[in-house]
Amino acid sequence: MAKVLLELKDATIKFGGVTALNNVNLKVHEGEILALIGPNGAGKTTVFNVITGVYQLTSGDIIFDEKSIKGIKRYNITKIGIARTFQNIRLFGDMTALENVITGTDVHKKSGLLGGLFGLPRARREENAGRQKAHEILEFIGIDEYSDRLARNLPYGVQRRLEIARAMGTGPRLILLDEPAAGFNPAEKVELAKTIKKIRDAGYTVLLIEHDMSLIMGISDRVAVLDFGQKIADAVPSVIQNDPRVIEAYLGVPADAS
Amino acid sequence: MINLKESFKESNFRDVGAHIWEHASAVERKIMAVSFIGLAALLPFMGFGLLDTPVSDYGAVLVYPVGMFILMALGLNIVVGKSGLLDLGYVAFFAIGAYTMAILGTRTSLNTWEIMPIGIALAMLAGLILGLPALRLRGDYLAIVTLGFGEIVRISALNTREIGGPNGIANIPVPPSIGPLEFSLNDQKGFFWVVLVMILLTIWMIRRLSVRRAGRAWEAIRQDEDVAELMGVNTLKYKLWSFSLGAAVGGAAGVLYGSKTLFIAPEMFTLNVSILILACVVFGGMGNIWGVMVGAAILAYLPERIRFISDARLLVFGLALVITMNFRPDGILPRKKREKVIVKKEKNNG
Repeated sequence: MAKVLLELKDATIKFGGVTALNNVNLKVHEGEILALIGPNGAGKTTVFNVITGVYQLTSGDIIFDEKSIKGIKRYNITKIGIARTFQNIRLFGDMTALENVITGTDVHKKSGLLGGLFGLPRARREENAGRQKAHEILEFIGIDEYSDRLARNLPYGVQRRLEIARAMGTGPRLILLDEPAAGFNPAEKVELAKTIKKIRDAGYTVLLIEHDMSLIMGISDRVAVLDFGQKIADAVPSVIQNDPRVIEAYLGVPADAS
Repeated sequence: MINLKESFKESNFRDVGAHIWEHASAVERKIMAVSFIGLAALLPFMGFGLLDTPVSDYGAVLVYPVGMFILMALGLNIVVGKSGLLDLGYVAFFAIGAYTMAILGTRTSLNTWEIMPIGIALAMLAGLILGLPALRLRGDYLAIVTLGFGEIVRISALNTREIGGPNGIANIPVPPSIGPLEFSLNDQKGFFWVVLVMILLTIWMIRRLSVRRAGRAWEAIRQDEDVAELMGVNTLKYKLWSFSLGAAVGGAAGVLYGSKTLFIAPEMFTLNVSILILACVVFGGMGNIWGVMVGAAILAYLPERIRFISDARLLVFGLALVITMNFRPDGILPRKKREKVIVKKEKNNG
């Protein structure tokens, strides 16, 4: 088995009286696509928010690459290699597509404001390298033709893809995709599935939240199921499809069961 | 070659300018820049008495308020327009610059040019001291804290006897002459040229940073601070930079102002000044250098010009603002709306 890249250990988070995550244990292995599914309100996006430092755990721990990242500042979590997209698209609308991705690449630059102001050689070099890398990523995702368009004027599907590109810009090892196929038609979903596989094959590890079962079953190496803040299943897709607890969580208990 | 007809098809003044600029070759750009700066430098000779205001002559108005307001509006634009941080206490940095000039100018043998870097440094330091706690707040809360800071600086000056209290400080020396260029109150061309150089430096700084890491960080923070942080932007650091660079420009303007007016007092640094500079930024077009300059020039000149209707001038002034903002809510010359891709395609076709 490949090495564990990210691990949630007994992750619990409470908002007042509500327990959003309850002792969740989750391992993400390097180089896999792990899908996180569950009914609405199960706590999937909360898992993303915990990993990226938006919320702090009430108890438990998060290990990334053998180090605890609990309590680390959000921008440093990005810097050590975790990037995400957002369920409701949150691009920098007044920037071009290219600038959105370059903003992601900025996280690893060593030159700061003064270097940029006085045009020091290192700043110039890094600026050019960032631009180059951003183009490569847009090309990889298949939207380089839109690079000079303002993000808010882009078609919906391109915006969703740009979210992924921007996250890739930060040079992550683990990439968190929050419902990347929301609002897509079947043809677009097939395209996206290809892209996600391509991302994994390029060496990234993917943690994916999705509702579309055919997409998930088609591309995931493993599926974890959350329900009411608890993990109820964690297995390969074919096992998940027949797990009675998962079916129950989604469809409820049959009337004649008891 | 520049195609003017094509340029004017664009709907927006700002876009027309951008269109011409983007289609110009490197040589054409240099010619435009040089002639523009040259024209600006000749401004003191272009009044012909027509532009005199009821209280002061054109040459003096050009320095203060027009030039100074443009400078300060550009500085505040880094904070409000670029980074989206509402700062209602900008006058504090102006005051710190002016008081630095006044205190050091009257008590030591340092001259204006030597005091300038000290004033800028102190203003930046004040920006950091205010920013470190305040920039953890957002939106309205930040605005209130900065407003309070502006008042604290003014009231501290008012109550500190060592720096003159309410009487202020008088007999501030004018700058020593640079070569043949002398600074006197009767002929303010020298002051104007210094302000012009400061404005050009500020424009250079903003233009430069806008297309670099810092500019992107500010832009990201303005549009969505949470996402900016999740994309790896150290938001506090870049907000502090924004604040202290804005403060630096305000401080520089303050030093020159102190050295020009010969006398300063706390009553010159009220909240009204902060609001007026902010109005220049919003009225002209937040985030756009040219818009901010046009806005500042108009808002600085207009009240001076219509002073003959005395107190009613503020009413007319307010009315003009309301009407303009109704028709152009994004300001006279709003920030970039068009996309570069249009230019590229045309270039490929032609």
